[in-house]
Amino acid sequence: MKQLSFDVVVIGGGPAGMAAALSAQEQGAKVAIVERNAQLGGILLQCIHSGFGLKYFKQELTGPEYAQRFIDRLAKTDVQVFLSSAVLNLTPDKKVTLSNENGVFVLDAKAVVLAMGCRERTRGEIKIPGDRCAGVLTAGLAQHYINIDNECPGHRFVILGSGDIGLIMARRLSLEGMKVAGVYEIMPYPNGLYRNIKNCLEDFGIPLHLSTTVTRVIGKRRVTAVEVSRVDEKLHPIPGTEKVIPCDTLLLSVGLIPENELCLKAGVKINPRTNGALVDNDLQTNVPGIFSCGNVLHVHDLADNVTAESERAGASAARFAREGKLPAEWTPITVKCEMPMGYTVPTCIRTRKRAPIFFRVRRPLENYRIKVQSGDDVLLLCKPRDYKPSIMENITLPESILKKAGNEITLTMEPA
Amino acid sequence: MQQYDLIIIGGGITGCAVARELSRYRLRVAVLEAMPEIGAGTTKANGGLVHSGYDPKPGTLKALLNLKGCLMYPMLSRDLGFRFHKTGSMVIGFNEDDLAYLEKLYRQGLENGVPNLELIRGKRIFELEPQTSPDAKYALYSPHTGMVDPFEVAIAFSENAAANGVEFHLSSPVSAIREEDNGFVVTIPEGELHATYLVDAAGVHADDVARLAGADEFNIIARHGDLLVLDKHCGVQNLMTLYPIPSKETKGVVVMNSVSGNTLVGSSAEIKEKDDNASYQEGIQQLIAGAVKLAPNLNPRKIIRTFAGCRAVVENNHNDFYIRPSKKVPNLFYVAGIQSPGVASSPAIAAYVAQMLRGYGVPLEEKEHYVAERKAPVDFSELSPTEKDRLIQKNPAYGKLVCSCECVTEGEIVDAIHRVPGARTIDGIKRRTRAGMGRCQGGFCQHKVLFILARELHCRPEDILMEGKGSQIVFSKLKEGR
Ligand SMILES: Cc1cc2nc3c(=O)[nH]c(=O)nc-3n(C[C@H](O)[C@H](O)[C@H](O)COP(=O)(O)OP(=O)(O)OC[C@H]3O[C@@H](n4cnc5c(N)ncnc54)[C@H](O)[C@@H]3O)c2cc1C
Ligand SMILES: Cc1cc2nc3c(=O)[nH]c(=O)nc-3n(C[C@H](O)[C@H](O)[C@H](O)COP(=O)(O)OP(=O)(O)OC[C@H]3O[C@@H](n4cnc5c(N)ncnc54)[C@H](O)[C@@H]3O)c2cc1C
Repeated sequence: MKQLSFDVVVIGGGPAGMAAALSAQEQGAKVAIVERNAQLGGILLQCIHSGFGLKYFKQELTGPEYAQRFIDRLAKTDVQVFLSSAVLNLTPDKKVTLSNENGVFVLDAKAVVLAMGCRERTRGEIKIPGDRCAGVLTAGLAQHYINIDNECPGHRFVILGSGDIGLIMARRLSLEGMKVAGVYEIMPYPNGLYRNIKNCLEDFGIPLHLSTTVTRVIGKRRVTAVEVSRVDEKLHPIPGTEKVIPCDTLLLSVGLIPENELCLKAGVKINPRTNGALVDNDLQTNVPGIFSCGNVLHVHDLADNVTAESERAGASAARFAREGKLPAEWTPITVKCEMPMGYTVPTCIRTRKRAPIFFRVRRPLENYRIKVQSGDDVLLLCKPRDYKPSIMENITLPESILKKAGNEITLTMEPA
Repeated sequence: MQQYDLIIIGGGITGCAVARELSRYRLRVAVLEAMPEIGAGTTKANGGLVHSGYDPKPGTLKALLNLKGCLMYPMLSRDLGFRFHKTGSMVIGFNEDDLAYLEKLYRQGLENGVPNLELIRGKRIFELEPQTSPDAKYALYSPHTGMVDPFEVAIAFSENAAANGVEFHLSSPVSAIREEDNGFVVTIPEGELHATYLVDAAGVHADDVARLAGADEFNIIARHGDLLVLDKHCGVQNLMTLYPIPSKETKGVVVMNSVSGNTLVGSSAEIKEKDDNASYQEGIQQLIAGAVKLAPNLNPRKIIRTFAGCRAVVENNHNDFYIRPSKKVPNLFYVAGIQSPGVASSPAIAAYVAQMLRGYGVPLEEKEHYVAERKAPVDFSELSPTEKDRLIQKNPAYGKLVCSCECVTEGEIVDAIHRVPGARTIDGIKRRTRAGMGRCQGGFCQHKVLFILARELHCRPEDILMEGKGSQIVFSKLKEGR
């Protein structure tokens, strides 16, 4: 067993991990990235469609192209990259245990950045009843079979879930000559970006069925059909509306969940609303020196936002490594939110300079405005506009507001 | 034609336990299993509870074999290297009516000879299991109740039997049986096999197999049950097995902690068609409601999988096991109707069957070189960092993590394929190594497992099945020449 020391160890080599590592390295830290796959890039490597980088590079790139820019930048640095290396354990005193074909290594870190990404929700979690047969798979797995492995996972698909991943897969399958019988969405509105509904469904003549869900899987060995039903306002299937749709594959695109097993081992506290860590404005968790960013913190729709967030996490981690702690000149402000705002990142602000707050709404809102309160004092009322749950939003609180905030603020959405 | 002294039809826990028991003796034994894997019938789809034996009606075969089986498990688990957790259990009562029932159950347990049963109340319940519902007032405590992974046990039996010379024919559904030359000729896809004696351990299909042999003596109906698996973090942890007051047909909704640390909830009971392994909405709802009643902190949102299996119930047999020689066809023996607690009883069933066979003239002479022990496969996740490092130095395949959720390495998967009888399918790998059994359910690793299987078995990816015939995962290459 070998021991090595680093200022900053980044766990996960997707866009989050790469951006965090680069920014920590720029701050002068001695950095390592640990990635369990054989290449850096994370989930981007299988996202061969374009639509990445519009914000960050002002250019439309494919996933692998977006990743490659960071891989190339990393190659010019002394960041040590451990590939095909899985982190097995993380302790509160920041010892990172990994294994690879050369053995087990313990990396002693002054600061750690968690960037493990997320996983997809499965059939079991959404409890679709019915037969237990082959042919039910998550969109990401299908994407891997098609885009990386050159394997055909089915001929006729039903897609459950109208998030961007489901929509992009509908187009991808069509382009590869497979049939998509339809996309079904339990909510009364689509969950993906408008541009994807247009480019991925309408252009390919794929029907989108709202307020409808899959209520049964049918097939002894391999899927032969699925039963779909319309749902009522409470999202319960309406008896009598069942329809059987023949298909050999059911593709699930029903949500992503931050992959936080390692955090639990290190004593990191999880926000039940995001399934990611609870962090402050430096993206530091409750365990000093452990930071979190990207999809492991909260699910992002745009890689560009992942990159921006992770650069902040990397810089904070480098500073922590250098100074042994982060400056705490101010008493922290607890950030709370109320429905229909679903969550905020961060949940705690330790600065009075300026602090960006990211959030999502839980349902589509027309002409709503953000309200920031401290006790009964309204500190800020934003201009009203429309909000969608599929889009991650943010608001930056300026110095003037933070100074008035006391030790707790609450964010809400109210109709204008 | 291959010649055997005895053929066992059915490679579930029952068939494998019997095979292992008979492998002590100088007999040529074969096991024929329809599926590509051991334990792919009801054996893969149950709670894995080793009930302690107060539940079956006194005087039945079930009562006798359940108790004996349960007490054999601790030793067996050491010999065969499978996990057995003696968790203990409580049947929980909430009111005076329940208490009356618990008293009855207690007396029945004493009559069955179950040791160390205790009727307890109040504080003691929460000392034993603090996660029990605060409404619990009374309980029947049984310290001998345990948990196993039922397919791990079946696989351990099969490997030990194979090490002692039993031959396993997998993907070998028996399609015809005829009497010939003082014995039977049994048809499987590979061809015909001859045996002097036949043991029918074909689960829900034991009656069909009997009919193939020309013996229409009993009927099996399938009592279906749903089960739930929860994430390792689901609000409760390391739970002692909690039973409700049982219903007429089953032990009701039980909450338990699997040997791998997941909370399990089982099982509903509805008569359905044989081989119906579908999950039903009503069953799932019933389980959630029952589970929360016993352990209110259990979070149903942490369900990672639902599954279901069918108990084989022999009609007009008072819910008992059906272990006896055929009345119509000499040298045909039934080990049928092995409904719950078939897992708990399996070691005792095997010993009972051997005795029965001896009684009917099957020559059972002990072998000189019988290997009683099996070495368990490596569980990488359980090793210390130093042990992990040492293993990787010996074989770098253990340094390639395939399943992150359950920490399963390529080394373990390759080993599972090359053991005898070895894994052939995605589900076979999953049950042997846990790869794909965690919270992502194979989302990240299924493709890796698929390609390892294809590589090791020298076949194409499209030849790899999830489990049964026709359950392929991928169909063909998308584009040639890539
Ligand atoms: C199908 C799909 C389509 C998308 N389309 C778009 C789009 O068009 N435009 C856009 O901007 N964004 C898109 N996104 C979103 C974007 O790709 C993600 O937000 C982004 O990749 C998240 O980056 P990450 O680094 O947090 O996670 P990931 O990319 O998931 O990277 C996490 C990395 O951590 C590694 N890891 C995890 N655990 C361990 C461990 N224990 N040890 C070592 N390594 C570990 C993983 O192997 C992985 O490489 C899409 C996402 C998906 C899934
Ligand atoms: C929901 C549920 C929960 C349960 N919970 C528990 C519990 O907690 N504890 C407990 O002790 N018991 C439990 N049981 C009972 C237990 O699962 C069974 O008693 C046990 O698995 C029966 O094993 P078996 O080998 O007899 O049958 P099976 O495992 O079904 O094996 C029979 C085998 O025969 C094969 N076969 C059939 N026809 C042919 C043919 N023509 N040719 C070749 N092969 C053939 C099948 O493929 C199958 O593999 C439960 C059962 C259910 C359904």
